[in-house]
Amino acid sequence: MAVTVSIPTALRQYADGRASVELAGGPVGQLLANLVEQYPQLGRQLYGDGGQLRSFVNVYVGDEDIRYLQGANTIVPDGETVSIIPAIAGGNVQTFKRSNV
Amino acid sequence: MITLSESARQAIAQHAESTYPHECVGLLIGRLEGGRKTVEEAYPAQNTWSAEVGLTAAEQEHSLRDRFYLDPRDYMRADRAARARGLDVVGCYHSHPEHPAIPSERDRVGAQGVGGGPIFSFLIQSVRSGQAAELTAWLLTEDGERFVTEELK
Repeated sequence: MAVTVSIPTALRQYADGRASVELAGGPVGQLLANLVEQYPQLGRQLYGDGGQLRSFVNVYVGDEDIRYLQGANTIVPDGETVSIIPAIAGGNVQTFKRSNV
Repeated sequence: MITLSESARQAIAQHAESTYPHECVGLLIGRLEGGRKTVEEAYPAQNTWSAEVGLTAAEQEHSLRDRFYLDPRDYMRADRAARARGLDVVGCYHSHPEHPAIPSERDRVGAQGVGGGPIFSFLIQSVRSGQAAELTAWLLTEDGERFVTEELK
């Protein structure tokens, strides 16, 4: 029984259009590395230049954010779900860039 | 192109009016067919912005009137609810109280975690004097550098 990694809508284009991917259990950092090895284009979406998870990308094991567990060392047991979830922020006032299509 | 049900359109307008003069935020649940999205319902979330989630010290000067933050746990709940029904999160919305429905630079920065391209829409509901005004749709380019307008029906 594998681990299910849930891919958010806008990142599926970097994972052959898949909404979820089955991977072997283990430390979540290794699991994500395996995911990126399988779908290299996901890498630049998930990680910044320093190899750290981007600040607006969140990874949950079950219902818990790995930042509040053991980070990349959090063990994911078989049968569990890992969710990659974006944070979305914004607000008005500042100047903007736009172009029309 | 993104198509909204009338009930979803009304739900966004009502949410934006109910939180005025603060910004509201929520997700769009519907169907994906190629680059076309059909929104069946709006999923209102709480605007959980606080200076602590800001990107810089300058954030201290802002408030819920001009900032929003969608808690990723709300995104996860919406995503699970959508998948359970064979649907997807196909976009998000937020309001601009007393401002045009045009994305700000801050909106662009805050969208970087989502990913660009045609399969996720960013809707903006303008609110003027407490009344919902124009609603616009935008796509983030794949390089994350800018928003482009999207046809909204």
